[in-house]
Amino acid sequence: MDIGILRRDGRTDPFFDGTAAGRLVIRRCEACDRWFAPDASGCPGCGEEDPGWAEASGEATLVTWTVLPEEPPAYLALVELAEGPWLHARLDGVTRGDLREGLPLHVTFERPDEGETYILFHP
Amino acid sequence: MRTSRGTSIVGLGMTELGRVYGRSPRRLAADAVRLAAADAGLALGDLDGLLVSHGVSGSPGIELAGTLGLGDLRLLAQVNAFGATAGAMVSYAAMSVLNGTATTVACVFADAPRKPKQSAGAAYNRSAREWHGFAGMTAALGLRSVTSFYALAAQRHMARYGTTSEQLGAIAVSTRAWAAGNPLAEMRDPITLDDHQNSRWVSEPLHLLDCCLVSNGAIAVIVTGDDRARDLARPPVHLWGWGQGHPGHRKERGSDFGLTTGAASAGATAMKMAGIAPSDVDVCELYDCYTYTVLVSLEDYGFCAKGEGGAFAASGALGPGGSLPTNTGGGQLSAYYMWGMTPLSEAVIQARGDGGERQVPARDVILVSGNGGILDHHSTLIVSPHPKGA
Ligand SMILES: [Zn+2]
Repeated sequence: MDIGILRRDGRTDPFFDGTAAGRLVIRRCEACDRWFAPDASGCPGCGEEDPGWAEASGEATLVTWTVLPEEPPAYLALVELAEGPWLHARLDGVTRGDLREGLPLHVTFERPDEGETYILFHP
Repeated sequence: MRTSRGTSIVGLGMTELGRVYGRSPRRLAADAVRLAAADAGLALGDLDGLLVSHGVSGSPGIELAGTLGLGDLRLLAQVNAFGATAGAMVSYAAMSVLNGTATTVACVFADAPRKPKQSAGAAYNRSAREWHGFAGMTAALGLRSVTSFYALAAQRHMARYGTTSEQLGAIAVSTRAWAAGNPLAEMRDPITLDDHQNSRWVSEPLHLLDCCLVSNGAIAVIVTGDDRARDLARPPVHLWGWGQGHPGHRKERGSDFGLTTGAASAGATAMKMAGIAPSDVDVCELYDCYTYTVLVSLEDYGFCAKGEGGAFAASGALGPGGSLPTNTGGGQLSAYYMWGMTPLSEAVIQARGDGGERQVPARDVILVSGNGGILDHHSTLIVSPHPKGA
């Protein structure tokens, strides 16, 4: 599958600044001591509409997956970051036989010729 | 204004469904409301309430009232809980009648996403060369169709409970068997489990035959009080109970996404109101955007234990002659995809005894479900040919 070109749009700038530097940056509310996915619309604990950003470890486990019938197959997933939030993600370096709940994964960064750096998860 | 002790669906209007081109959602919605009023033996001027809902191709809008020439309405709103909307609209209409806000309320859904010479799924897929925002990133990475998000849910159920593709296939097969008896169904040729297994993957673990159709058209129903319903043209379909469930699954550790749905709370609320238990239900008309949606709904409603939906479906219970006739008109999988109006319209047809060769003999209690978003929203109705408590 052709990924296409990713463009930043203001809300995604801190995330893509992070990926460009090889860091996975997600939302974190310090006041509530809670982590959220990068696309979180706010902190439901305190109502903060623009929680801060903090670097996540990049470690994750596999929650569930789907495979697109392409050549080569595209492995797409929900992954659970070590900090707790789930991300919709694309897996790399896996085969069908590897896929199981709880499979340990870690983040890697892909720098295309054009557009923003995106993330993949590897076993 | 005199209030009524019970409410019923008294009119059903269905436009041509499926490959219906050249009519806007508003025109389709207007046609469906006119058909529903005629079915009930009512004049348009008898309506004093209108609830409007839409799919993915634009809303008819509350301007539909003007299109129909309706004046002096006491209730007018656009309602949206995605696939749960039809059940929600009917419940709001019933509550409005019960509390005297309005007496006779039309509820309508219209959509026209299907275009000539375009694949049926195109309206529910994203495609672009450049992507913006987090949703754009998710799509760029490959999650571009609603089917892929449901595939994630289905796969989690499979991994956790051992649910199999063949068990999902049993739902596709039984639903198609029902469709054979429905002249309004788009897909009526019988299929086998092999056909299901050999149909192409759309997004594993979902095959093409796990996925619903995409249809153009509109369906409307009319709700009024039982005092008025008795004098109308068709037998009333009594509303015994309703409920909603919006689980708000957070995408984080501990989430039940894919394992349980809003059917659990919506069903409990509706069945309590109706004064029934799952064992009292004769027929199910379940929202079947995917075979998996039926399977997980059956579990959450309590027709079988959690994790046993696959075995239950594979037992033959859901098909013609089974113990729990389900999606007796062919559902969204094989008949027509009018979101929550698909199960609701078939429930009205069955309750009236209008099912023709697919009519089920026992129809005292019919459960109707709606499901919206990616398992985010759920509605339930319990309907019957008999007044509640009679
Ligand atoms: Zn907070």
